[in-house]
Amino acid sequence: MMDIFLCLKQPSRMVDSKRMRMTSNFQWILLTFLLLYLMNQVSSQKKRTPHDLKCVTNNLQVWDCSWRAPSGAGRGAAYEVCIENGSHSCYRLEKNTKIPALSPGDHEVTINFGSSISKFTLNEKDVSFIPDTPEILNLSADFSTSTLHLKWNDKGSVFPRHSNVIWEIKILRKKNMEIVKIMTHNTTLNGKDTVHHWSWTSDMPLECATHYVGIRCHIDDPKFSGHKEWSNWSLLKNISWSSDSQTKVFPQDKVILVGSDITVCCVTQEKVVLALIGSTNCPLIHLDGENVAIKIHNISASESSGTNVVFSVEDNMFGTVIFAGYPPDIPQKLNCETYDLKEIVCTWNPGRPTSLVGPRNTSYTLFESFSGKCVRYKRAEVPTNESYQLFFQMLSNQEIYNFTLNARNPLGQSESTLLVNVTEKVHPHTPTSVKVKDINSTAVTLSWHLPGNFAKIKLLCQIEINKTNSVHELRNITMKGVENSSYLIAVDKLNPYTIYTFRIRCSTKPFWKWSKWSNEKQYLTTEAIPSKGPDTWREWSSDGKNLIIYWKPLSINEANGKILSYNVSCSSDEETQSLSEILDPQHKAEIQLDKNDYIISVVAKNSVGSSPPSKIASMEIPNDDLKIEQAVGMGNGILLTWNYDPNMTCDYVIKWCNSSRSEPCLMDWKKVPSNSTETVIESDQFRPGVRYNFFLYGCRNQGYQLLRSIIGYVEELAPTVAPNFTVEDTSADSILVRWEDIPVEELRGFLRGYLFYFEKGERDTSKMRGLESGRSDIKVKNITDISQKTLRIVDLQGKTSYHLVLRAYTDGGMGPEKSMFVVTKENSVGLIIAILIPVAVAVIVGVVTSILCYRKREWIKETFYPDIPNPENCKALQFQKSVCEGSSALKTLEMNRCTPNNVEVLETRSMVPKTEDTEIISAVAERPEDSSDVEPENHVVVSYCPPVIEEEIANPGADEAGGASQVIYIDIQSMYQPQAKPEEEPENDPVGGAGYKPQMHLPVTSTVEDLAAEDDLDKTAGYRPQANVNTWNLVSPDSPRSTDSSSEIVSFGSPCSINSRQFLIPPKDEESPKSSGGGWSFTNFFQNKPND
Amino acid sequence: FLLPAILCLLTLLLPPLSRGAPMSPAERITQAYNLALSMQENMSTLLQTYLQAQGSPFSDPGFSAPELQLSSLPPADISFKTWNALDDGERLSRVQGAFLALTQHLQLVGDDQRDLNPDNPILLAQLRDARLRAQGMLGNVAAIMTALGLPNPRAEDTLGLVPFGASAFERKCRGYIVIREYGHWTDRAVRDLALFKAKYPS
Repeated sequence: MMDIFLCLKQPSRMVDSKRMRMTSNFQWILLTFLLLYLMNQVSSQKKRTPHDLKCVTNNLQVWDCSWRAPSGAGRGAAYEVCIENGSHSCYRLEKNTKIPALSPGDHEVTINFGSSISKFTLNEKDVSFIPDTPEILNLSADFSTSTLHLKWNDKGSVFPRHSNVIWEIKILRKKNMEIVKIMTHNTTLNGKDTVHHWSWTSDMPLECATHYVGIRCHIDDPKFSGHKEWSNWSLLKNISWSSDSQTKVFPQDKVILVGSDITVCCVTQEKVVLALIGSTNCPLIHLDGENVAIKIHNISASESSGTNVVFSVEDNMFGTVIFAGYPPDIPQKLNCETYDLKEIVCTWNPGRPTSLVGPRNTSYTLFESFSGKCVRYKRAEVPTNESYQLFFQMLSNQEIYNFTLNARNPLGQSESTLLVNVTEKVHPHTPTSVKVKDINSTAVTLSWHLPGNFAKIKLLCQIEINKTNSVHELRNITMKGVENSSYLIAVDKLNPYTIYTFRIRCSTKPFWKWSKWSNEKQYLTTEAIPSKGPDTWREWSSDGKNLIIYWKPLSINEANGKILSYNVSCSSDEETQSLSEILDPQHKAEIQLDKNDYIISVVAKNSVGSSPPSKIASMEIPNDDLKIEQAVGMGNGILLTWNYDPNMTCDYVIKWCNSSRSEPCLMDWKKVPSNSTETVIESDQFRPGVRYNFFLYGCRNQGYQLLRSIIGYVEELAPTVAPNFTVEDTSADSILVRWEDIPVEELRGFLRGYLFYFEKGERDTSKMRGLESGRSDIKVKNITDISQKTLRIVDLQGKTSYHLVLRAYTDGGMGPEKSMFVVTKENSVGLIIAILIPVAVAVIVGVVTSILCYRKREWIKETFYPDIPNPENCKALQFQKSVCEGSSALKTLEMNRCTPNNVEVLETRSMVPKTEDTEIISAVAERPEDSSDVEPENHVVVSYCPPVIEEEIANPGADEAGGASQVIYIDIQSMYQPQAKPEEEPENDPVGGAGYKPQMHLPVTSTVEDLAAEDDLDKTAGYRPQANVNTWNLVSPDSPRSTDSSSEIVSFGSPCSINSRQFLIPPKDEESPKSSGGGWSFTNFFQNKPND
Repeated sequence: FLLPAILCLLTLLLPPLSRGAPMSPAERITQAYNLALSMQENMSTLLQTYLQAQGSPFSDPGFSAPELQLSSLPPADISFKTWNALDDGERLSRVQGAFLALTQHLQLVGDDQRDLNPDNPILLAQLRDARLRAQGMLGNVAAIMTALGLPNPRAEDTLGLVPFGASAFERKCRGYIVIREYGHWTDRAVRDLALFKAKYPS
């Protein structure tokens, strides 16, 4: 910066050399002192001349230079300063000097003070530019918006050039001057003094605390190369709210955007104990004194009455209300149209709700830019999301309107525009006062009122014409609009005497919108004469003297009014005879006529007039070539076809009637045009299965000729009855059957044939079951020749009962059947043979037997009638010997010794079956007392130890039955065979007395093989069942295996339940009285054998 | 439901002048007493509806701020001794003065709420009812005073210049105080009129 040339280099060098030589501490201390001394010397040398030249500028035009005065220079000492600036200029000055700004580059400055001269090199780069301290002209505050307004002067006039200025403004708050914000503000100096304004909005209401503002600047002159420094801060100015010692909360009734932050403070001299936002407690921020603030972040939308912020002091509460909402949405669906071309109605949707109501609600202004007029929307008491509307009076001669709808609330505004040609946006009101007047029976005038002035445009109206039971008709009418709102049109092409309902709606051309439909107006058109005569037919009465004329009532469309009466007249060439009026409900008249040709005419009359006459000739044109045909319909109708006949000029008539009715028979008729060749006759009266006669007439010159006669059914059904049939003739091998016709009513279709079935069979046993099932023994004859009435059945057997069945059938199905039993006559030759052969056989057998008996008479005698009976043949004795090893009772489990019982043979045979029965039952029922009770009554007591064995029966239900389910096997062979093989017994049972072995313990559940394996063991175990166990089968007695085993082993031993009376007590016991001696007889076994 | 209620009210509120035969003091007292009872019945509903519409903390359960007072309303609190010692004229004129002030204040509260709660027709209707009842009470008390031959003081504007710059919070509080005091004065009117009923039996 500044170079000072002083000759002090030598001593310093000496000092250095001395120091280099010192090594001890003392030397160091000495060196230090020396250094201090030298420095003091230099300083004192310096102080003796002006030094530390410094230059600053605050306006770039004048440099303010200063230096330090030499020591000893008193106040007011004079210096001579010379500056080498192109020219040498010297100034005699005191300590400071103001010199004009020097040009860039080094300048030598010499300052002489007495004898000492200091020289400096001065460059612009060494000069500091420090602007003057700015001064705040004014600081004001807008408390309602919490905004500070600052005003100051830039004093630009003192600066030679335009340059940018940066202003730094600091905001301090509270008495302890906490810096709240430092902000910069850029301006430009323009060579003139300019007053600048700056505003700042505080986040905290300005009432809450004192706010201080200071300012400084930094001028950035691009041409100045020296140091540019900030000016000093200005004096602080402050803003404070002068409290009137009342507690107040700020801000009041503030409307803010949802989601923003807000600080609320309470200026008070009392101690605030609590702050609430709604019901939420808030931390307090302490300000000066007792003032407090709270900060609300991200506030949510308020309810209608706002968000309450409450500060509670000890005995009071203070608060404010904040309304957090949204700025108005852009009005949506803005639409302007007119109902009447007098007033424009604009509607729109407000869009998103603002959450602001009452005075804060959105206000709307509709501005029309061409006319410059505007309409303001009066705020609704209740804000809605529904459509808003505004009415704008139309201006004469203006069709195009440019609307701008402005929405505004405390948080902002938005707008929506619409350019509209109102003549194209006409939405007429609903037509009113619809009136109808007659023109004639087919036309009316329709008038209505449509509010509005449509004189300049065309209307398009739509008339809906509704007729009862008919599709509604729409007619479009274009008409010129009128000023007086009344419209009238004629509606034609209506039907007479018809109730119409009219309603109207209108739009304009070009189309924009239909109005609503007007109210309906009902109207009955007036009557007109009937458009045609009634459809007429005639029939002669059965006696042929009277002609009955029939006609059909006219349809509503043809009658054109209420038909009051009919006029019938008949005319011939000579005369015209007219009958009296026939009132409406009657549609038939009878005239006595001869067989001359008359023309009958029928006329229908209503209140307006008569119909054209319907004419028909009384006589038919004869037709000899007539055949009766058959036809079958389609269920609900019948199709009739015929060939085209050019002679038939008027029309064809088909009449029909039920064939069973008597003449004159007429159910209905139908007329078809003369060019038709077919028609379908349909009628609700048609019933399936009923025969109808159809007659087709052709017409020429009003005379009808019968062309065809048809019998037919709309649907064929099966006959309801079977044909009656009788047997005309019967022989030993044939039957002649004759049957009768079925009446038409019961036939219910065209007869297609008969089915005749026959089979052998008695009345009681043989039923004709399943005739259609194709049984081979049933013979069927289909008789398709319906004229055939008899049938001869041949190749039958004599004296045999036959079952005959006959049934008729139609295309509708089979009728019921009728049956009969017939026995063919006897064949006499066969009968004789049948008698002779058995007689001959019997004689031969008798002769042979006699011969044999004669030849073997000795053997027979020896065998059957010996002179001395052999005791061995006594069965009673044999029985006692072999059987009695068990107890007398049948209870096998009793351990009583088996003592032989005595056999008493008494005369009372009738008791024998009872004895057997009782004993067996007692064994089954396991009632010991029974046996004792019964015993005395039994005169024949057979000691009988039945070999009882249990077997599990496959049926589990039988198991549950307990004792009743036990099956006892009785080896009958062992009971009776010993007589035949007595020697085998000891071998089989060598240790018969070894002791009792309970039969219950027999392994009955084992297989046959198991039993066989154990056989030896059984033999040694003492008691042994009286049968070969191997022969017992574990299957049921009824099974084939059982039968097989018994047949193989040739044993009668067969498992049989002792409950089974069928086995043990043969049903025909009493038929074999001989068995009583032995208790059992062979006949029993033979009879029981099938049961095995 | 508002229309029948208003019609019913009108039968009570209509000044007795419209009747053909003049009513006796006892009848007038009974009529005023019945009106006071009906006002008493509707009190809690009105206060509840009002507080509910002002948002929290007003709408918080059990809200009460007895410290809030309104200088333009005469206090209903009175010591029993003083109340007992009041003569007929003083007793009735105090009731009359209070209901005169209440009528005007209820009008003010109604206007305030039209700004704050325009979407709450029930509240606005109840405030209108309350004002009509207060007016009815005023008329009835005046009629009793006339019937008893007591001097009828002229109606004054008790509201003065007070209300218009009030903030929303002040208006909410003011409404609360007015309705609360309306209740207190209704209770006091019931007691006063019961006293008159006993004193002037029919």
